[in-house]
Amino acid sequence: MIEAHFISDLLLSSVRLSVPLIFAAYGGMMSERSGVANIALESYLLFSAFAAAAATSLFASLWMGVLFGLLAAGLIGLLFAVICVYGRGDQVVIGTAFNLLAVGSIPVLNKALFGITGSTPALSMQLRFTDPLIFFGLSILIVVFLEFLFRKTRHGLRLTACGENPLALETQGVSYKNLRVRAVIEGSLIAGVGGIYLSLCQGSAYVREMSAGRGFIALAALILGGWKPLPTFLACLFFAATDAIQIQLQGKAIGGFQIPNSLVQISPYLITLLLLMFSSRKVLAPRAINQHL
Amino acid sequence: MKRSFISSILIYLITLALGIFLAMILVTIVGENPLNVLKILVMGSFGGPREIAYSLFYATPFILTGLSVAWAFRAGLFNVGAEGQMLMGGVAVMALGILLPNLPVPLAIFSAFVVAFAAGGVWGAIAGWVKVKRGAHEVLVTILLNFVAYGLSSFFILNVFRNPASQNPETFEIGSNYFLSQITFFDPSSPLNQMIFVALLCAAIFAIVFRKTLFGFFQRMSGAAPELAVRSGVRIDRQVILALFISGGLAGLASCGTIMGYSHKAREGFANGAGFIGIAVALLGQNRAGGVVLSAILFGALAKGSLDLDLDTQFITRDLAQVIQACIVLVVASKPGLELVYKKVRATK
Repeated sequence: MIEAHFISDLLLSSVRLSVPLIFAAYGGMMSERSGVANIALESYLLFSAFAAAAATSLFASLWMGVLFGLLAAGLIGLLFAVICVYGRGDQVVIGTAFNLLAVGSIPVLNKALFGITGSTPALSMQLRFTDPLIFFGLSILIVVFLEFLFRKTRHGLRLTACGENPLALETQGVSYKNLRVRAVIEGSLIAGVGGIYLSLCQGSAYVREMSAGRGFIALAALILGGWKPLPTFLACLFFAATDAIQIQLQGKAIGGFQIPNSLVQISPYLITLLLLMFSSRKVLAPRAINQHL
Repeated sequence: MKRSFISSILIYLITLALGIFLAMILVTIVGENPLNVLKILVMGSFGGPREIAYSLFYATPFILTGLSVAWAFRAGLFNVGAEGQMLMGGVAVMALGILLPNLPVPLAIFSAFVVAFAAGGVWGAIAGWVKVKRGAHEVLVTILLNFVAYGLSSFFILNVFRNPASQNPETFEIGSNYFLSQITFFDPSSPLNQMIFVALLCAAIFAIVFRKTLFGFFQRMSGAAPELAVRSGVRIDRQVILALFISGGLAGLASCGTIMGYSHKAREGFANGAGFIGIAVALLGQNRAGGVVLSAILFGALAKGSLDLDLDTQFITRDLAQVIQACIVLVVASKPGLELVYKKVRATK
């Protein structure tokens, strides 16, 4: 039975679930538009979510949590950028290593700080953001800002040039390496907001691997959105809605038949896959992505 | 020839040392003694015959997932989906072993291998097909397929083949004709089993294919020089799908060691990260059969040794194994940049 509150629940939960996707996707956009393939979004989310929750708990201050969440994201972004740009290796391989690094090192840090590996201490209501709409509003501001950035500003145009034809940029006397490092760090800070949201708003602590593949879904949204701000935003909303429906369907019987949860849970990934398969073949990826001069 | 062999061993050792050094930074940050941690890792993995047997047991799936990722790399593809392919292979073996428990011995084991290879292979080939026909990057597709495989495998394990008499979320036992026997050489009670020979055989076949056969040459060419391949009449589309089929098949086989040689049933999440470790194994092993085997044994030892960290240190947990893997991958990936720095330093001298 479909009832009115079911639909409003669904909408609200779609909005809630879209926030980390949107911030992560924009983190990826800054980096990929400049020519650095970014499969490390998952690690950005995890590190910033952990740092935010840990700092909030240790300093008993929400703003310290935000500060440390952003610091952690920026630091990981800096590290990723330097290794990608100066290591001159395959950025996808490096990104995979970063995800592994997050999964492996956070439990060790958690144990050193709080004595257990699984999660940070639960935060009280005063130490959390209670309204997810603040973050959603911020994400709308960022869409507008990014559309402006890529169309009208020197930095945005240079970023696009850096991802399409870095040599042309070099002949203009702009270092493509510095620009890529800068873009990746800016992106990591945006994605960091998504991580902060995960542990300080959607959840009430850092829980092991709490991003649960959102970094990868965000990357799919970025690709389906053609690396453009507004379409990417819409793609994130779509994925969040499928996730919301999936959560609502768990444990519910349809026509007397109950679909096992394990099958319901894979539906967002299946839909993402199908969309990737049946979206336009034309690849709009930045041309110099994952390439060095 | 001899010189390149020595230099690749040198590179191997330097990479390993650098990677471990980086990981030890984290150990130092949380206030543990890196030397103590290294000692625990070595003693826990090679400290005695029992430890060696366990290390080799852990290494068995890593050899196959390492070969899986290395095969794809040789063909210019990055397979991040070995984990999902392994799960699908395992589900197929488990289903076969439960549905046809009385198949005669040599046929049972042989068909289990075929089924595992085919199921993993199909899961890999899907990514190849999507890449070739629809232009989606194989990395993203294989990652998404991993998530689908997690869900599908738990569906089969928990909803279809679950043993209701067991307290644990696990399936019925497979027929005893499918069992691989233990190797008792090191330790009579260790789970080390014959699968390690199958894994080594696969490594040998891997080496022969890429060294001696035209097929191996086509596989490499379609990755390294696609334009040349097309002009020589090689059909790249087919090579890509085939490469991911074989890569997935090798990962599918990786499930056999545990299911047929040790647990004799499937538990949820039985791949336990072996597919991801395969990436580090392949990279450290420079995508060569010998290098992969060596790296797999090393990572098997790391997996075994790191279990002791939970108890024997205050803050370090078994998760450190992943940190070490990540650091090694980072060092391998940064090789071009590091070489550049090395050349500059030499030039100034």
